[in-house]
Amino acid sequence: MTGTTIRVATDVGGTFTDLVCFETDEATGESRVTTAKSDTTPPNFEQGVLDVLRKGGVDPSTIGFMAHGTTVVINALTERKGVKVGLITTEGFRDTLEIARGNRPDFFNLHYEKPQPFVPRYLRREVPGRMNYLGQETRPLDLSPLDGIVADFKADGVQAVAVALLHSYANPAHEAAVLDRLRELWPEVAAVGSHQISREWREYERTNTAVLSAYVQPVAERYLTRLQDGLRQESFDGTLYVMQSNCGVDSLGAVSRVPITMVESGPASGFWGAAELGKLIGEPNVLALDIGGTTAKCSLIEDGQVRIMTDYWIERDRTSAGYPIMVPVVDLVEIGNGGGSIAWVDDFAKLHVGPKSAGAVPGPAAYGRGGTEATTTDANLWLGRINRNYFCGGTVIADMAATAAALDKVAGRLGIDRDEAARGIVRIANNNMVNALKLVSLNRGHDPRDFVLVAFGGGGAMHAVALAQELGVKKVVIPAGASVFSAWGMMMSDLRRDYFLTALADMAPGAATGIEARFTDLEDKARAQFEAERIPAGKVRFLRYGKFRYQNQEHTVEVPIEGPVTDDRLAAIAADFHAAYEREYTYRLPAPVEMVGLHLVASAEVGKLTLKAQPLTEEAASSASKGRRNVDYALDGIHEAEIYDGERLKPGMRFDGPAIVEDPGTTVVIHPGNHVEVDAWGNLHIQFPQTEAAS
Amino acid sequence: MTLDPITAEIIQNSLQATADEMFAAMKKTAMSSIIYEVLDMGTGITDADGELASSGAGIPAFVGVLDKAVKVILSRHRKEDLRPGDVFATNDPYYGGVTHLNDIIVAMPVFADGQLIAWTANIAHNSDVGGMAPGSLTGDATEIFQEGLRLPAIRIIAGGEAIQPVFDIIKVNSRMPDVLEGDVWAAISSVRIGARRLEELAAKYGAETFRAAVAKFMDFGEAVTRKSLATLPKGTYELNEEQDDGRIFNVKITIAEDRFIVDLRDNPDQSPGPVNACRDGVMIAAQMLLKSLTDPRGPANGGSFRPIELLTRKGSVFDAKEPAAIGFYYEVELRAYDLMWRCLAPVVPDLLGAGHFASVCGTFIGGIHPDTGRQYTIIEPQVGGWGGSAGRDGNSAIFSSFHGETYNCPAEINEARNGVLIDRMELNTAPGGEGEFTGGRGVIIDYRPRADNGYLTVGYTRSRFPAWGLAGGRDGSPNFVRFIPQQGEPQDYAFVSGLKTRAGDLIRVITGNGGGLGDPRTRDPDLVRRDIRDGLITPERAKEVYGVEA
Repeated sequence: MTGTTIRVATDVGGTFTDLVCFETDEATGESRVTTAKSDTTPPNFEQGVLDVLRKGGVDPSTIGFMAHGTTVVINALTERKGVKVGLITTEGFRDTLEIARGNRPDFFNLHYEKPQPFVPRYLRREVPGRMNYLGQETRPLDLSPLDGIVADFKADGVQAVAVALLHSYANPAHEAAVLDRLRELWPEVAAVGSHQISREWREYERTNTAVLSAYVQPVAERYLTRLQDGLRQESFDGTLYVMQSNCGVDSLGAVSRVPITMVESGPASGFWGAAELGKLIGEPNVLALDIGGTTAKCSLIEDGQVRIMTDYWIERDRTSAGYPIMVPVVDLVEIGNGGGSIAWVDDFAKLHVGPKSAGAVPGPAAYGRGGTEATTTDANLWLGRINRNYFCGGTVIADMAATAAALDKVAGRLGIDRDEAARGIVRIANNNMVNALKLVSLNRGHDPRDFVLVAFGGGGAMHAVALAQELGVKKVVIPAGASVFSAWGMMMSDLRRDYFLTALADMAPGAATGIEARFTDLEDKARAQFEAERIPAGKVRFLRYGKFRYQNQEHTVEVPIEGPVTDDRLAAIAADFHAAYEREYTYRLPAPVEMVGLHLVASAEVGKLTLKAQPLTEEAASSASKGRRNVDYALDGIHEAEIYDGERLKPGMRFDGPAIVEDPGTTVVIHPGNHVEVDAWGNLHIQFPQTEAAS
Repeated sequence: MTLDPITAEIIQNSLQATADEMFAAMKKTAMSSIIYEVLDMGTGITDADGELASSGAGIPAFVGVLDKAVKVILSRHRKEDLRPGDVFATNDPYYGGVTHLNDIIVAMPVFADGQLIAWTANIAHNSDVGGMAPGSLTGDATEIFQEGLRLPAIRIIAGGEAIQPVFDIIKVNSRMPDVLEGDVWAAISSVRIGARRLEELAAKYGAETFRAAVAKFMDFGEAVTRKSLATLPKGTYELNEEQDDGRIFNVKITIAEDRFIVDLRDNPDQSPGPVNACRDGVMIAAQMLLKSLTDPRGPANGGSFRPIELLTRKGSVFDAKEPAAIGFYYEVELRAYDLMWRCLAPVVPDLLGAGHFASVCGTFIGGIHPDTGRQYTIIEPQVGGWGGSAGRDGNSAIFSSFHGETYNCPAEINEARNGVLIDRMELNTAPGGEGEFTGGRGVIIDYRPRADNGYLTVGYTRSRFPAWGLAGGRDGSPNFVRFIPQQGEPQDYAFVSGLKTRAGDLIRVITGNGGGLGDPRTRDPDLVRRDIRDGLITPERAKEVYGVEA
């Protein structure tokens, strides 16, 4: 196998396990790409991974680098399939997990149901001892209750223990001491301390994070062990990396200790892919949109950097407070609008789309599997945007009668005709998505004209142009292989760790030494961690961010800090904060600036893929045409569109809308007046006359 | 002009998205923890005439203020004098402010094609607006003049330019001038962001279409309410209820085919102290209850409330006359709300459960941070227990019906920011609230100041008469504060103003359990045993009340 490197990404989803494999000739840089899909095989998920490798013709013993993404953590949480957890916390705070934050988002509903804590009260136990917010001990820790607690936990069938003490973000010594004693008393139990996951304040959020991590730890560990064993049996001896919610990959060992960091790994890899694609094509400012079957997710990438935050919640919406997970997660907005989202009309003749989805079963009415509700996919199909003779890449015969009947139900209730109903569904779905895109862009003071929209997932390309024109972005880019883009993103990921630390500092002369010391301390720790995984210190790159606010404020604005922090540079750093703050919130204040904490990104490249540009052809795009058909562009009218076969489009080809590009996984809807070019990597660049919305 | 239903829907959805965006912007930039952490605030959009156009975001009792404030601004400024970029403010209940002087409402007119098409507005609790006491709230006030600076629906920004003298006056009147300035600017930023979004919307679809969509949305709101109102049992219902302070409050509610009449005329005269509400405030209470009864999940706007008829008597506790003090208005409004709820609960037991702790439990603790030397003011509403309702136990530890998307303050933040110690924060396991479906639990929070020369002010209700049980369920437990000084005897309070505190004194906040629903003897014994295991009830009491052996 000399001269070729094989990189593989496998992604275990709820229904399918995906494979993308790049076989790269080191001499020429040319890659042969293979994709494959097989069924996900719960509870023996490793079987599905081995199956898909076999199906893709990949011999595990030849793989150099393997990245793996999985929904196992989020599924264990949402399906409540974790283990019984016991919590040990500070005396006086056993109920923190249940009191939570007391909010009631569904405020007119007097029957609101507060989310139940993951640990019932009798398994929440206390130890005396206190740290203060400065990390100083104010009352010594008393470990004597632990013997009794452990005995009770064992008797009650507890399988994992979370330890979360007050102010452990400032000084974890007490928490570490409890963990040490716990391991002496009960070496085999899964245990985690909140400081191992988060060094930020807010006890409910940190405690809940530790509890949820403990809840999934045995499940995730079993999964990862079996995956590794399964691969080893097939003679895999490369390195296995696991996709994280912060857009990086991490080693198997690190992930097994704190598996909760995998919680949003699926969307993260797609957004990372969008960031890398942006850099590749010279567009570092990207609005990334991922439309799947049940949801649409979007995220903003500025100057090639994804935004990573620790303000992440599951099951949180207008009707529920949800549960916080304070781990680094790519900043994203998710809405219940995907291809399978159901259109429905309420008692007052108002049309809604989602969040309920037809799922895979019965699926959209057009699947012909008994679905009677119109979905976004049905509307797209009816309007000729999706090819009824090439539905799901030709694998499904579209049941147009079922689609028509489902649309008629909607139309009848609205008092409009079937076509109008289909257009309405597409418009409402688009509006929902535009509002989500605004939340991550305009809402944060970004000008959409500085961004390109990169759309992927099964449905991204279908809606991208309409959304982009409404937002007024520069152009739309549909990546080659948009439907397996997440797996592609995984292949581009670095080994990356995000460290957040709450540590208050005034931006006054003399403060720099302390701030610099905290950064270097974190950097030393990061290097040591990488070195333990045989990554040489020289390969580790750092990005420093400070979290700043005006004195007396709470919420912070994150500002990049370049180079060492010295007293001379404090003023310049504060000026960067003022500017970033004003952009986001329209004003600035003459108030003192406070630093609340640090955010350090440590990353190292591990077998990252480099793509090679292909020569541009002079050949006309018409050679990829497969005919014409009428397409309804909703507000842009009905037009006869040129239909292109995506697999026959070559780098350098160009054409104009109205058009449709079809490949087995995606349909790209190109509106009248759009101009399309295929770049050297096979991505479609769609440009349009700038609309008024941009001004 | 024709308005297609899809365009209407898109504009209506965008109103909600805009209110949410305004909320997010304000939350992130405010300087008072009462705003950014507790989220004691609301944002919303009204039409050109000041009718609420969207549900808004934040506390419903606060969103309900915004339309009333805009209407007063409109009555005091000629429409032709309004210009793009103008921003107005009011905080005075006698000038559209509805609540108390701490709550500043900021409103901005929005224009398209040269016409006024809407207003964006928000309201938030400011930490100190002057007056006789730190934090501006005191039970000792007898006139509104003692409660802070009054802003009578005035212009504060003209055509985008701040009117500096007004800002100087606002600032110089506050004990926490920088914080107040920061919070007012956070509010201005929020209305500006909202206005920009509405201008874009109107530019895209046209001012006329925008207006038509908003009007249609209100008609929709009205239709929803009326449809549901028609299903409620018709009749007139009356309730008299004694209050903690001995006053008797009365309500008569008439549910008619197309009207919801709330008669609060037969009530005591306004109080010489700050425990009064204004008519607009009581109207909000009626609006919230009607919304909960008719369509708790759908959007609320001006149309939703059209069927309400409210009758009050000028000069009474529910319709106070200037210059009555009004600082603790929220407890009075909440009493009115709870009175209406209790009046109708036996009539519609599936829609309304047993009573909840039903007090904001506003807790004000101030002093000097021993580590920074800076003044701090804790202003916190408290969480408590909700009542049992048809088929399920009440929630533990959530904010009162007056609040919504409100957050408690983490102990770690309180200790760092305010320099107090939080010794405990746990569920209240006092007896009370037993029933087939139990009331949820209140909380016990121990605050311990670390420096001398601090103060404590509280104003709690449901302290003598706890949350009411329903249909055989037991009453809940009371809300109160137990002050345990280092020297001297412990003392319980429901109302106290400016009590001096010293380092090491203990302020124990205790909020009540909700009322129970149904006969305790009919409760599932497994649930009783679960509560015993969880330490929420003693085996002895379980046997006594439920007849269940552990």
